[in-house]
Amino acid sequence: MSSHAACGAREGEPEALLQVRDLAVHYVGAGGEEAAVLEEASFDLAVGETLGVLGESGGGKSTLALAVLGLLPPNGRVTAGRVSFHGRDLLRLSRRDLDQVRGDEASMIFQEPGVSLNPCMRAGDQVADVARVHRRWPAKRCREEARAMLELVGFDDSDGVFGAYPHQLSGGQKQRVVIAQALVCRPALLIADEPTASLDATTQAEIVALLRDLRQRLGLAMLFVSHDVALLHSLVDRMIVMYAGQIVESGSRDQVVLKPSHPYTRELLRCVPGGAEKGVGPGRPRLPTILGSPPDPARWPPGCRFEPRCPDRLESCGARRPEPRPAGDAGTVRCLLYDD
Amino acid sequence: MRRRRKILWAVVPLAALHGLVLLAEFFAPYHYATQNRMLPYAPPTPVHFFDQEGRFHRPFVYELVPDETGMGYREDLTRPCSIRFFVKGEPYRLLGLFSTDRHLLGVDEPARLLLLGTDGFGRDQLSRLLHGGRISLFAGFLAAALSLGIGLALGSLAGFYGRWIDAVIMRGAELFMALPWLYLLLGARAFLPLSISPVQTFLLLVSLIGTIGWARPARLIRGVVLSARERDYVLAAKGFGAGDSYLLGRHVLPQTLGVVYTQAALLIPLYILAEVTLSFLGLGVAEPEPSWGNMLGELQKYHVLTSYWWMFSPGLVLVVVFIVYHHLARKL
Repeated sequence: MSSHAACGAREGEPEALLQVRDLAVHYVGAGGEEAAVLEEASFDLAVGETLGVLGESGGGKSTLALAVLGLLPPNGRVTAGRVSFHGRDLLRLSRRDLDQVRGDEASMIFQEPGVSLNPCMRAGDQVADVARVHRRWPAKRCREEARAMLELVGFDDSDGVFGAYPHQLSGGQKQRVVIAQALVCRPALLIADEPTASLDATTQAEIVALLRDLRQRLGLAMLFVSHDVALLHSLVDRMIVMYAGQIVESGSRDQVVLKPSHPYTRELLRCVPGGAEKGVGPGRPRLPTILGSPPDPARWPPGCRFEPRCPDRLESCGARRPEPRPAGDAGTVRCLLYDD
Repeated sequence: MRRRRKILWAVVPLAALHGLVLLAEFFAPYHYATQNRMLPYAPPTPVHFFDQEGRFHRPFVYELVPDETGMGYREDLTRPCSIRFFVKGEPYRLLGLFSTDRHLLGVDEPARLLLLGTDGFGRDQLSRLLHGGRISLFAGFLAAALSLGIGLALGSLAGFYGRWIDAVIMRGAELFMALPWLYLLLGARAFLPLSISPVQTFLLLVSLIGTIGWARPARLIRGVVLSARERDYVLAAKGFGAGDSYLLGRHVLPQTLGVVYTQAALLIPLYILAEVTLSFLGLGVAEPEPSWGNMLGELQKYHVLTSYWWMFSPGLVLVVVFIVYHHLARKL
C-alpha cells in the first residue's frame, strides 16, 4: 500500500489526492495576541490511502484537520500554505465552492457524535439532507439513498434508525449515523478527528472495523487524527507525529511505531500501556510519562520545541531550529540528532 | 402531556374569543351602528323566566320604556317578548363571503335585546363589544406578527453573521428600545391625516405599532441564534457542505421557535393595549366603527364613568384577555 507513499514535502506525485504544503495557522486570543498553533505542515495523501495523525492534546492535530477543509473557528486564520485537493487549492476557494467540495468530495467527522447530530431531527433526515444539499435529488430519492447508506454502515434495521432521534441511539450508533452522513455522497476523502475517542473500547473497535471495511469498499482515502498509537497502527498506512504545532516525524506505520526516529515519538511510545504482561493492580509498575508539559503556543521555545522535555537533547538544541530531514524508508524527522 | 393540557387552558378560551369576534355579525344581535335614540345609556335588559302570574315561561324580556322621572327606564310588564334563536335580523355578509340575515339571538318586537346595555346613542353594547374585539384583537395579532417577522429577520442576521452587521442592527435596536414608544406612536399618528377610512386606520395602526416594536424580539432572537450557531452540529453540517441558508433554516431558526412563541404571547396583549390606548385617546379607530379603545373612550365623560357601569365591559374583557395571554406565555 505504502510503496509509493511520499512522506513529507515531496513534490509532484501525480497520484496524490491531497497535497498539503507548508500549512500554517494562527489563533487570535481574546486579548488580540496571536499564537502560531500550526507551522510548516506538509504531507501527501494518495487515493485510497490512510494517513494517521498522532500526537498529544494541543499538538495541532485537530487544527490541521480543520484547516484542510476550511473549518477553523472564527479566531483561526491560515497564514501560509497550500492545500491542493483534486488539483484545486482549497484555501483559495470561495465559500460557495468550498461548500460544494465539503460533504461531496471530502467529508469530516468529529470526536463527539452526540453533538454532531441535531437533537431535534431524525437521524435519517440528517443523512438525507447531505444528499439533498449536494445532489438536489427529489426528497424520496434522498431518503432511499440515506437508507442504503445506513445499511452500508451496518444498521440492519435501517428503517428504525432512519426515524430515530439522536437521543434514542447509542454512542456507537450515532457515530455510524455521522459516518453515513459523511459518506452518503461517496467522497474520495474522509477526515476523521478522533472519531472514536468518546466511545467505549468495544464500540471503538467496531467503528474502526467499519471504517476499515468502508475504506476498502468505497476506495476512500482517510486522514485519521488520534492520540491512540495502537489504534492508528492497526488502521493506517502511514503516520505523521505532531508536537507543538509541527510535524516532528513521518513515515510508514511500522517505521514510526516500531523504529521511531524522533525522541518525542520514542517517549510517546514508551508511555503506551503495555497490556497484560505488565500486570494489573497494586503491584503494577507506574505508567511512564514524558516529563514536563507541552510549551505555550504563544511562547514557543526558540530552538527545537521538544528540547525542554527531550531526554536526548544536544547543546545546540536550545538555539537551533531543526528542519525536516529524510529518515528511514520514505519518512522524515525533525530533529538535530539526524543533522549532518 | 400535563404541559400540553395547561396550554390548552389558555388556547381554547383564546380560540373561542377569536371565533366569537370573527363571527361577530352572527353572534351580535344588532349591527354595531344601529341606534335606539329612545334608549340612551339603557342598563342591561333583565332576562326573565317567570311571568307576572309566576308561571314558567321560555326566557323573555320586557320592553324598556322611560320611567316617570324621565331620568331612567322601567320595564313595560304588559307584554313579555320571548328570546329566540337564529332569528331574522339585519342582513350582513358573514366573513365577507356569505350573505345572510340570521343572528344567534333575537327577541320579539317591540322589545330590544340589550344584554350589556347601550351607549349614549342607544347602540347595543354587546354588539359593539364583539365588533370592536375584532379590531382590537386582530390589531394585536397582526402587529405582533409584523414585529416578530422583522425581529426574526434582523435578529437572526445579526446573530448569525456577527461583526459589523451585528453592530449596526443592535445599535439600531437599542435606539428603538430607547424611544418612548407611546409618544412616538402619538407623534406618528398625529402627523398622518386623521380623515382616512377605517380600514386604512387599522392598517396604519398595525404597521406603526408593529414596526416600532421589533427591537425586543430581535435582541432575544439574536441571543438564541448566537448560541445555536456555535453548536457542534452546525460545524458538522458545515463539514458536510451546508450553506448559510441551510444552516439558518434547518439548524438555527428552529431553535428560536420557543422564544418566538413566548414573545408572541407577550407582545400580542401589549399591542392590543397599544391599539386600545391610541383609540382611547381618539387617534386610533374612529366612530362609528367600534374598538375596545374608543368604547372605553366614552368613560372620559364624568357622568358615564360614575353612572353607567356596563360601559366598563370592554375593560373587563381586556383584563381577561391579558390574563389568558400571560398564562399562555408562562406555560409555553
